[in-house]
Amino acid sequence: MTTFQTVAKLLAERIEIDVDQIHPETDLATLGADSLTVMELIFDLEDEFKISLGDERPTLVVVQDIVDHIDRYIKIAAEQPPQ
Amino acid sequence: MERVVITGLGAISALGIGADHNFAQALAGVSGIDYLNLSFTRQIPGCVAAQIRYPLPDLVKKSELSLFDRFSLMGWIAAHEAVQQSGINQESGQLDQSGVFWGTGMGGATTLENGYIDLFIEGKNRLRPLSIIASMNNSPAGQIALRCGFGGTVNTYSSACVSSAQAIGEAYRHIRHGYANRILAGGSEALLTFGIVTAWEAMKVLATADPSRPAEASQPFAANRSGLVLGEAAAAVMLESLSSAQARGATILAELVGYGASNDATHMSNPNPAGQARAMDMAIAGSGLTPTQIDYINAHGAGTAAGDATETESIKRVFGAHAQRLMVSSTKSMHGHTLGAAAALEFVLTVQALRNKAVPPTAFLRQPDPACDLDYVPLHGRRDQQIRAAMSNSFAFGGSNVALIVKDFV
Repeated sequence: MTTFQTVAKLLAERIEIDVDQIHPETDLATLGADSLTVMELIFDLEDEFKISLGDERPTLVVVQDIVDHIDRYIKIAAEQPPQ
Repeated sequence: MERVVITGLGAISALGIGADHNFAQALAGVSGIDYLNLSFTRQIPGCVAAQIRYPLPDLVKKSELSLFDRFSLMGWIAAHEAVQQSGINQESGQLDQSGVFWGTGMGGATTLENGYIDLFIEGKNRLRPLSIIASMNNSPAGQIALRCGFGGTVNTYSSACVSSAQAIGEAYRHIRHGYANRILAGGSEALLTFGIVTAWEAMKVLATADPSRPAEASQPFAANRSGLVLGEAAAAVMLESLSSAQARGATILAELVGYGASNDATHMSNPNPAGQARAMDMAIAGSGLTPTQIDYINAHGAGTAAGDATETESIKRVFGAHAQRLMVSSTKSMHGHTLGAAAALEFVLTVQALRNKAVPPTAFLRQPDPACDLDYVPLHGRRDQQIRAAMSNSFAFGGSNVALIVKDFV
């Protein structure tokens, strides 16, 4: 499953819509995903990908913004030696 | 000054969902008490509680559930029922003169405790992002205001077991003095967690159950009472100025006519008859009624040794000879002590008693304590009673006392 597919799946579950309604350029606010919803989604995604996004507070407007954000941290995690 | 009337009721407790259903169960003497079943890896053997053992109604979207602790969810369920019954909606107007006054003792304890489990037991280093919003004491008031569009004063009262009595009483004053036209008032509490119940156990005030009859563990005024039984609940009343209710042609259920509040100022947990009497006297004085016009008291009656005897004494001080003619019952014998929600739940039952002219019993009261010698309506509810006005008493650790009086609207 790609990062986008995982993000779309968890987002769809969280806001109770059909996953087919979610595309990379879909606007989060239009979907009804407000800032609190996105915070909760990020929390779930951290668990799902076993990453930690730290204190960064990026501007997330469309679904792809979340995907990019997650991918960046997956890459960072992959580059770090296991602890 | 404005008269204050009640146009909606809501309740959810171990007795079930709905103000009418809760009253029917209480009138029939049904207990909601059984052994406590915690959703935690550890249990508290022998502990009984008035626990809501059924799934909560599905009133909130799954996407919004992270915002809700159990006490907020229950609060919205009760508030929703009261608002629905009142007929008030977003088109009713005057929403900026409509408020929410809510009571809770310890708010979102479930959320906090789950967070502590994650941090201290599971070794996690972060908590869910909405833990603060879900657990804060004013979360239900905020949710109710948001969902009803009530843009007036929204206050939260936290005074242990009188929390929701203060919420209702202060709402009454608020409307009476013209600060608001409508206030959804009530309270909610959901503290049946491993940590909180263990803390209550340490205080040695919880009832011990007879293993053959756990449902009868709450025995207010009984000679063999052993303490209180914790419960969880939410209850709400829609309070309105008479002019607001009449202008929209609302059905008026009863009139709230008296509110008295005092503090013992003598001890943090030992009750004091003079302090309790001050609250009752204040409520009666403000109501325009004489004590003899009050026919029923829904007692605080938690089932503790000191509390029940003190309340008996304070009722005698206030009502004199009429105390022997009053019907006094503790519905905590059935729905347990629901702490910050208790006063609201019992107020809803008091309003129902007034309306139905029927008094729920002090269930399972077979042998009263000799120090408790009033008519506690033992064992069985009574129908077809004369009830012109009724009082609901609530007393709290910290010394706070509240009495509320309702009468038929005429």
